[in-house]
Amino acid sequence: MFRVLDPLLHNQLRLSIMSLLISVESAEFNFLLEKTGATSGNLSIQINKLRDANYIEVIKSFKNNYPLTTCKVTTTGVDAFAKYVDALQEYLKIKK
Amino acid sequence: METNLTEQESFKIIQEMIATSKNKIKDNSFFFLLWGWMVLIASLSHYTFLRINIGYEYAYLPWPILMFGGMIISVIAGIRLGKQAKVISHFDKMMMFLWWGFCITLFIVLIVASFGKISWESAYALIIALYGLGTFVSGGVLKFKPLIIGGIASWIISVVALFVAPVNVLLLIALSIIVAYLIPGYMLKSKEN
Repeated sequence: MFRVLDPLLHNQLRLSIMSLLISVESAEFNFLLEKTGATSGNLSIQINKLRDANYIEVIKSFKNNYPLTTCKVTTTGVDAFAKYVDALQEYLKIKK
Repeated sequence: METNLTEQESFKIIQEMIATSKNKIKDNSFFFLLWGWMVLIASLSHYTFLRINIGYEYAYLPWPILMFGGMIISVIAGIRLGKQAKVISHFDKMMMFLWWGFCITLFIVLIVASFGKISWESAYALIIALYGLGTFVSGGVLKFKPLIIGGIASWIISVVALFVAPVNVLLLIALSIIVAYLIPGYMLKSKEN
């Protein structure tokens, strides 16, 4: 039967964030903003949701006296992402 | 917006985002060129000082001066590049560990040789082999053949270094640095631009 697609990942912006983070070691908030084309308010909300689920780690620091937010995917996040991709593949196979 | 995503759309997002985050390899040629020139100048000036027989006991001095200079420039450049980078790739992190490991191993070889536990000739051969390793691994990760070939060439040169007169080892160091750092460094630079 169909596996349930992780609702936390089955969202355009959150999936974009996770896909970007999965392919790098860590990325700054501005990098995510630039690549996803989202508004900073929406991006913050989605980042917090992913952080609350422990899918990503959010590190707050300072750079040239400005606050800096850096994000990093966790092992829980990698597992969830892999499961999501597996489930997606199943859906696509059945549809073919 | 929450659930209107189709499976195909999901796949498209994943593909696009992964592609966009690995769109550029950063300028990695700087450090190869910096150290290439530093080592080349140090080895050739050391060789020249020994050959023209002036101040034999000070002939090695280009090494500490240039290597210390190279270290300071590397640290400044490293901090600057780190501040500019909005994203750190898996590759960047791997390179950092590789070259820090290289520095520490190099330091250990230098200490062992300073205490007379191994001869300086053996130390030179080990050092050439060691930066051959660094170049070889970098080439593999970057998928850049000239660096891989440079690494292998360094290993061959390091074995040859065991069988030549000590003063000529300096020429072999110069040769290996040209093959393993300078040529691949310039090729990498022209590729990036």
